[in-house]
Amino acid sequence: MRVALFVPCYVDQLRPEVGLAALDVLEACGIEADFPEGQTCCGQPFLTAGETARARALAGRFIDVFEGFDTIVSLSGSCAATVARQFPLLAPGSRGDEVAGRTREFCDFLADHALAGDGEPDTPWGAFPHRVGLHSSCHALRELGLGTPSESRAPARPDPARRLLESVADLELVALERSDECCGFGGIFALEEEAVSCRMGLDRLEDHRRARAELIASTDISCLLHLAGVAEKNAFDFRTLHVAEVLAAALPERDAREAHGVSDGPR
Amino acid sequence: MTSARETILSRLEQARPPASEAPAAMSGPPRAGDEIGTLRRHIEAAGGRLQVVSRANGGLAGVRWPIDLDTTRHLHSSIPEVESRGVGTTSGSDRELADLDLCILPADFAVVENGAAWQIPARPRERSAALLAEHLVLVVDAQDLVPTMHEAYERIDLGDSHFGWFLCGPSKTADIEQALVLGAHGPKTMTLVLVDD
Amino acid sequence: MGHVDRAREFVADASRTSWHDEALWFVRAKRDQAADDVPDWESLRTHAGRIKRHALSRLPELWKQFEQNAQDAGAKVHWARDAEEHNEIVADLLRDRGIRRVVKSKSMLTEECGLNERLEADGVEVVDTDLGERIVQLRREPPSHIVMPAIHLRRDEVGDLFAKEMGSPPGLDDPGELTDVARRDLRPRFLAAEAGLTGVNFAVAETGGFVVVTNEGNADLGTALPMLHIASVGLEKIIPRQRDLAPFLRLLARSATGQAITTYTSHFRGPRRPAPGADDERAPELHVVIVDNGRSHLLGRPAFREALACIRCGACLNTCPVYRRSGGHSYGSTIPGPIGSVLEPSRDPVAHAELPRACSLCGSCSEVCPVRIPLHHQLLAWRGELVAAGHRPMLQHYALEVVGRLFAHPATYRGLGALARTLARLVPKTALTRVLPAWTRGRDLPPIPPKSFRALYRERARRRASRTDRREERASGSSHGNEDAMR
Repeated sequence: MRVALFVPCYVDQLRPEVGLAALDVLEACGIEADFPEGQTCCGQPFLTAGETARARALAGRFIDVFEGFDTIVSLSGSCAATVARQFPLLAPGSRGDEVAGRTREFCDFLADHALAGDGEPDTPWGAFPHRVGLHSSCHALRELGLGTPSESRAPARPDPARRLLESVADLELVALERSDECCGFGGIFALEEEAVSCRMGLDRLEDHRRARAELIASTDISCLLHLAGVAEKNAFDFRTLHVAEVLAAALPERDAREAHGVSDGPR
Repeated sequence: MTSARETILSRLEQARPPASEAPAAMSGPPRAGDEIGTLRRHIEAAGGRLQVVSRANGGLAGVRWPIDLDTTRHLHSSIPEVESRGVGTTSGSDRELADLDLCILPADFAVVENGAAWQIPARPRERSAALLAEHLVLVVDAQDLVPTMHEAYERIDLGDSHFGWFLCGPSKTADIEQALVLGAHGPKTMTLVLVDD
Repeated sequence: MGHVDRAREFVADASRTSWHDEALWFVRAKRDQAADDVPDWESLRTHAGRIKRHALSRLPELWKQFEQNAQDAGAKVHWARDAEEHNEIVADLLRDRGIRRVVKSKSMLTEECGLNERLEADGVEVVDTDLGERIVQLRREPPSHIVMPAIHLRRDEVGDLFAKEMGSPPGLDDPGELTDVARRDLRPRFLAAEAGLTGVNFAVAETGGFVVVTNEGNADLGTALPMLHIASVGLEKIIPRQRDLAPFLRLLARSATGQAITTYTSHFRGPRRPAPGADDERAPELHVVIVDNGRSHLLGRPAFREALACIRCGACLNTCPVYRRSGGHSYGSTIPGPIGSVLEPSRDPVAHAELPRACSLCGSCSEVCPVRIPLHHQLLAWRGELVAAGHRPMLQHYALEVVGRLFAHPATYRGLGALARTLARLVPKTALTRVLPAWTRGRDLPPIPPKSFRALYRERARRRASRTDRREERASGSSHGNEDAMR
């Protein structure tokens, strides 16, 4: 099975360690992923800005780069949603539909492999003794159905990010007052409506602070970059980590250190 | 010159979406649990009151009316057990009913899932009485409970009447800071009396 | 000044924003609890949505059927192509009968048509009787929410208003006492009113009747006594059969305020019969005014026509994190919030091009919509439409065009990324802050890594390759390899 890693543009440029953590975690689970170097951007920022022509062109490029892989694993729920839900509209046709159908968000993909079967899953990660707030990505939740939105009264769907974090020894997931309110990033919204965007971020951070979270984890670095920016500006003492980074930090030390060249634990 | 009607119908025709089938009729979930308890919960959540009386135990004689019947000056009743008095007996303008203290009406049935009672005023005056009286009481037979609005509409037939309504609880508003206030324009209290065997 | 600026002003008052946000979140929470009470909630939403979509595909037949049945029941039916025509019809009905005192229950349609201003210009006194509407009417401002018009006001502000406009004692702020002041002011107006104007929640083709729901009973009090009832209804508000009311009435109040049902759910069909011995010479009349005002146009737009299924519950406003933190007045439109941002650009794309962008695309609105309008998808679709139609600032459009083209090729993408990171690391933070205020007004800039992921990936691949080579060489015992490794 050929697995490709899709590293969103802002992860590539601003949080490269997330990509390395993802590779380490996949490897620890016996999954080797390729990184097709021709990838650039799924087009979501342009789509949310209403620049449909640009989004369409980038979708075309994405399809060219990633078709031929059995699974495309995305280090972002919102980018995965763009590919899975919007590509059939932007680039109608069998190639686009196939790539759309094979694109999975990272935790969704990993949970299938690492947490499969009955009984206690045999996961390669050890302990991570911290209080973690899980920030729910709106797109992972409501577009991809990775979890049950608080508005819904449909039968509960499992949240793979939550399941993965629950499988980590000594990790305590805190309970938030508003379990899935939007952080306020929203793509171009973060820049155009920055006053409301930052107020939304502040409210999320307050929720995590009241829940006494030490760090905030999510499937989406876009949300976390925004939350981290608001946190720094307002003297909140939070680290923000992708779920892959939490899992990687809990891997046996030797492998983690070797891959990153950095110390273990949250940064 | 084309009439507005013709223009609009023609615009609608031009803009008509592709055919979309009507869904098959939906029925409510199966009847379950303590229906009177559920009914009570919803009526009370709406600020109303529920009383259950039984014919074996004196029927309406057991009702605790919102105000003392004997001393009430202006009363409109459409049930045989209680007599109208004061402005409730006159037949002038409905506006006189502004002085009405109590209005008692029969209702056809009540809906368990939301506490509402369906009532068709026999005459327009009945409707005005229900709106202007300080206190409203509706009387329903305990046999006449339906579980949801689906079953309710199976029973609703306005017939020759021009008006019918569901009533649930007293008039109310929460328009000031979401604080619930009973008796916004209409009655300040509303009681549903359920008459059992 | 558009949503961006008004929202910024709103948010600047942090404590008021918290208060407004929590007030609306509370209503959202009540909706959640009410949904818990309905085991078939999700099926109900699907069912209601399908009825609406079916109705929208048959509007000409349904309205003709309605008209016939309404007329058979004694009602008069009028048709209005736009707001002006609607207002003329209503004004004429009043003028022809010498009517100058009118009470009106809540109708967003009459708000949209600007009816009050038109009637007041004719010298007609129009009193909005819904308490929230009455409050904003006295304040001479539009409602900020389609169900709770005065949700943006604190009790002391209402107290000040009533003291000024109704002579109540200053400093009153108990909602019960304030409601009593309003009740005492409004009751004589109900009794003296010569006509009652209402909206329509649902028109029923099968019966020629319609339903109006309220908690206060003001629509009923306003139409029980006067001789004339005028009901204004939008083209999209019709459903085929009486029994179709069931799913909508199960959904509406629960979605709107978390109540199982409103206090009054009134079914009208034809005018009431004259009361025996009544002192009015005229027979009671019922007039229904069917209004287009852009609805047929929206019907013709496949990407957005589903928005006509809206039953005006307001649930999308209550759940919208942006609406809660910016307030209804920020939108500058008759209907604010998610549904407003879908409907309004159809009516006026120039004035409202910004509204679909006042949205973080979280999708919560679509999840609460009782008729399953895919609101957040429509808001996204609007963005593409409005940019393509040129209703967005050209500078931003061209900048994104350029960046978009650079992003399309790995080489230019990499180059752009490296350039941006290098500049960001070299340029002092203070200068960066000034260049990127849209990020930095409320956020710190992220730390800029020296290398991108793809650079680190290549390094990692090289390290592993050389490790593999060394292992292979050790295994094969090649002296050449050993010598190389020891250098």
